[in-house]
Amino acid sequence: MRLHVDGDVCTGHGRCYTVAPDLLTYDDEGFVSIRDETIAIASEQLAQAEDAAASCPEEAISLIEDE
Amino acid sequence: MSDTAQTTTSGNGAESTHGGCPVVHLDFAPTKEAGCHWAQAEELREAAPAYYNDFGSGYWIFTRHDAVRDIYKTPELFSSESITPWEPEPAYRFIPTQIDPPDHVKYRKILNPWFSPKAVEEAEPRMRELCRGLVAEIAPRGECEFIGDLALLYPTAVFLSFVGVPVSEADRFVAFVDDFFGGFSGDPEKLPAMAAALQGIRDYWEAALAERREDQAPREGDLAGYLMHATFEDRPLTDTEILDMLQVLVLAGLDTTRGQLGYMFRHLADHPEHRRRLIEEPELIPNAVEEALRFYTIIFGDGRKVTRDTEFYGVPLKKGEMVYGLVSGANRDPRHYERAGEYVIDRERIHHMGFANGPHRCLGAHLARKEMQVVVGEWLAQIPDFELAPSEPLVERGGGAMLSLADLPLRWEVGA
Repeated sequence: MRLHVDGDVCTGHGRCYTVAPDLLTYDDEGFVSIRDETIAIASEQLAQAEDAAASCPEEAISLIEDE
Repeated sequence: MSDTAQTTTSGNGAESTHGGCPVVHLDFAPTKEAGCHWAQAEELREAAPAYYNDFGSGYWIFTRHDAVRDIYKTPELFSSESITPWEPEPAYRFIPTQIDPPDHVKYRKILNPWFSPKAVEEAEPRMRELCRGLVAEIAPRGECEFIGDLALLYPTAVFLSFVGVPVSEADRFVAFVDDFFGGFSGDPEKLPAMAAALQGIRDYWEAALAERREDQAPREGDLAGYLMHATFEDRPLTDTEILDMLQVLVLAGLDTTRGQLGYMFRHLADHPEHRRRLIEEPELIPNAVEEALRFYTIIFGDGRKVTRDTEFYGVPLKKGEMVYGLVSGANRDPRHYERAGEYVIDRERIHHMGFANGPHRCLGAHLARKEMQVVVGEWLAQIPDFELAPSEPLVERGGGAMLSLADLPLRWEVGA
């Protein structure tokens, strides 16, 4: 599983790194630090990744199944 | 909880239609019994997705989650030039609140680091210390008027220390904020005091800028000085821009947290089981605060100006018309949330539009959350049990501005 943040849609609510602190963190402006990036999600991180995606008020986070 | 329904002029009885929508005549400014505004928002939302309100110069109301979200997320169609639909041509221009893309993000880049989670985390120890001291003064009394004694005072003191203003100025700023929001809903009698408050805030900051003019570098922890040395597209900010920013920061930073804290504490006064839970599981406090932002949304609605003729959710809109997204209705929309009409203290995956949505997402959101979390934690540590003191029915300031309880008398046993 991979997690992608759409940087054009993210406006920095901060819900994702709050509910998934072991997975995500913030930058100096308060946006998640991986805007416009895709990161690999280990199986033990899956629950946090799903929480992060579901908590985003902008629906900026997508989870992508591995090929 | 006491969100009793009341007689409202919802769309149910509307006899005429405009653009296919029921026509209503609603003035959201008057003070009402606490909870009535949310009851009205529910009623409007369930009766129709959109209305035309012929109050004042007239505006469209969108009541449901997805439409409100899309108003927020489509700034090219819905301009922030005015955010008050009953006042399409406001006398003030707040930066970045009323700036549209592409300039909006450039101003936000200047301000974001100042109000970032990192900045808030660094400030947390002194925020806690300040709050602990205020609660320690109140606790032996056995009673207080929560709004006046803590809910406005604390955010004011935090905000002022956050931007580098002496906390001794708190009383002056509290009066500005009260006068401004008295007129923000459009009550004509209160407009002169509102104008005077705007001028008062501006005068304060103008003097602050004059006093810093010769500084070679910004003073430590001083927002006014920081802005005087900040750049917008490689040029310095003008004094007008800086004043337009500082003015709105004062207004947005103080009143909103007061309103939100009032409803949070009315809830805790009414719900001993939630107090107990937060004392036993303090790690749940951030969640309880987030759910309060959703369920007890103080942003009754938010206005935008239509930039071109279009159709939106089936409603024909004309350039220059005003729309009002009923945020408080959207945050409790059962089409979007499970158990939408309940305060669920351990709700998972909470998201809401209490801090708006899209590019204008509240700049102070991280600070506001932390302030609320600190007050809940520090209060419960010293005053674990309390209740509403007998009083006249609680009332709330009208929904044109941010909702806020006029007062909240609390009492508890001392030395038990």
